[in-house]
Amino acid sequence: MFHAPALRSWISSSRSPIIMASKSKTHRLHQLSGTALQSIAKRPRTITTESYMKDAFANYAGYLNELNEKRERVVKSSRDITINSKKVIFQVHRISRDNKEEVLKKAEADLEAVKDQYISRLVKELQGTDFWKLRRAYSPGVQEYVEAATFCKFCRTGTLLDLEELNAGLLPLSDPAIEPLQINVFDYLLGLADLTGELMRLAIGRISDGELEFAEKICRFSRDIYRELTLVVPLMDNNSDMKTKMDTMLQSVLKIENACLSVHVRGSEYTLLGSSDPSFLMGVPDMQS
Amino acid sequence: MKSAFRNAVALRTLPHYHFINPHFHSLPRFSVAAVSSPPSSLVSPSKPETFRFRRRSSPLRVRYSSMTGGETDAPASMEKQFEDFRVKLDEAGSLRERIRAVVNEIESITRLMHASLLHVHQSRPLSEVLEKPKAQVDGLKELYGRLAEVLCECPGEYYRFHNDWRSETQTVVSLLAFMHWLETGKLLMHTEAEEKLGMNQAEFALDIEDYLIGLCFLSNEMPRYVVNQVLAGNYDCPRKVLRFLTDLHAAFRMLNLRNDFLRKKFDSLKYDLKRVEEVYYDMKIRHLANGDSAEDNGTQGQS
Repeated sequence: MFHAPALRSWISSSRSPIIMASKSKTHRLHQLSGTALQSIAKRPRTITTESYMKDAFANYAGYLNELNEKRERVVKSSRDITINSKKVIFQVHRISRDNKEEVLKKAEADLEAVKDQYISRLVKELQGTDFWKLRRAYSPGVQEYVEAATFCKFCRTGTLLDLEELNAGLLPLSDPAIEPLQINVFDYLLGLADLTGELMRLAIGRISDGELEFAEKICRFSRDIYRELTLVVPLMDNNSDMKTKMDTMLQSVLKIENACLSVHVRGSEYTLLGSSDPSFLMGVPDMQS
Repeated sequence: MKSAFRNAVALRTLPHYHFINPHFHSLPRFSVAAVSSPPSSLVSPSKPETFRFRRRSSPLRVRYSSMTGGETDAPASMEKQFEDFRVKLDEAGSLRERIRAVVNEIESITRLMHASLLHVHQSRPLSEVLEKPKAQVDGLKELYGRLAEVLCECPGEYYRFHNDWRSETQTVVSLLAFMHWLETGKLLMHTEAEEKLGMNQAEFALDIEDYLIGLCFLSNEMPRYVVNQVLAGNYDCPRKVLRFLTDLHAAFRMLNLRNDFLRKKFDSLKYDLKRVEEVYYDMKIRHLANGDSAEDNGTQGQS
């Protein structure tokens, strides 16, 4: 796994010019880049002692180049996933009582597209290796995807999309011969933490549209998530970023709860309590001005 | 209307926030009285003490007393999934502790080796200096074997725990390379390093970046070594070290490094080389360096 076959063949082909090179006085430090074959003529006198190092390092250079290029491609893939998952989330935010079916259908179709186009590209770039080594490169994208997928599932069914189901959906993307890309538990939990932020936004939005029951469902759901996460987060390795997310998550949960509370308390003041008239909250004058 | 919300939210969150937020290091309790809420509350008023936030030793299943009938049964499958997570993470945690235990032992042997090797600055005879460290290499090999065993239990996760033993491995490589150079004057190769540590299995190999960083640590020892050798009267040393470091630096320049830790270490290599060059130059202009004309690099004056 540390070999660069292309580079090895280059090295063996370049051996003959070295022997024939004139033994001129040379500058001690020279750079042997992949394309600078002409610099071979200016080899230092101490060829024999140096070449073992140079050969080895040529291999290492090949290895590092491959690794860094792979990492860059993975980062790019991850960015694509992030952008398109965010689009799905924005789409779901447009949901309301009236357009629920159509919004969700489009969101789910978009989510499928993210999976088929962008995640499959990520799978191709990783090619079943270095899942843990390159995790920092693709983690943000995967987290965003988890967020979008769980968001859609909740709006559709009111339940949490669990990791197994999510990963089962990813299996067909990988070639059966290689190790399939499976979202690991850390990325899943991090994505879940971001989900509560979106849920908060959704809840506030639904409340201002008068859909109180939906908001209360969101409230219970986010409480459950928060509760479960408090027990899991301390067990995660390197959980400092997760800890800050937990603080944000608590804020979101509080906001949802307090918003629901306010409507609940004030709702009894209106004769149109819990009516399906979406404008019953809008018509109230702002008493705090 | 919305501003009324916001005020209400602000009023509610500020005073009670610190009661509710579980500090992940202590055992807080949710205070029921602090949050006035409608019936579907977090904890039913009759048992405030049931909610206890326990730390990781046992995965506690927290069960809220069942509240209003409007609960969906989503929590049941959710709880199961998170229970699974807790179990898996607990296992990973214990694996990690075992790795740390092995790494601590590696670190203590490394420290002993390093201390023995420091005698080389006091110009003790080489064989004497190298005797103890060489004996300890076997101990290291055994420890790395244990590490490999631990990691074998989670196949494919070599890099998951890599950071736990990364820096110790880099130090080990630098010590081995230093010892190899003292003995042979040549650079320890990646494969040779792997051999010495028994890290040449398929699943458990020496990461190339760790090896390269170890080499940079090796070069950090060189300026001091050169200085002390000259002080002890060994005027031959700077030339040899200079040639070695020059070759190493030239080899490193073949790599395309991005701006990471390895790059920083490579930069420190440049400074080490510069320092050794200075020492050599000082000696040369005072004609203290002998026997350096014929076999030296071409740029030296053929005097």
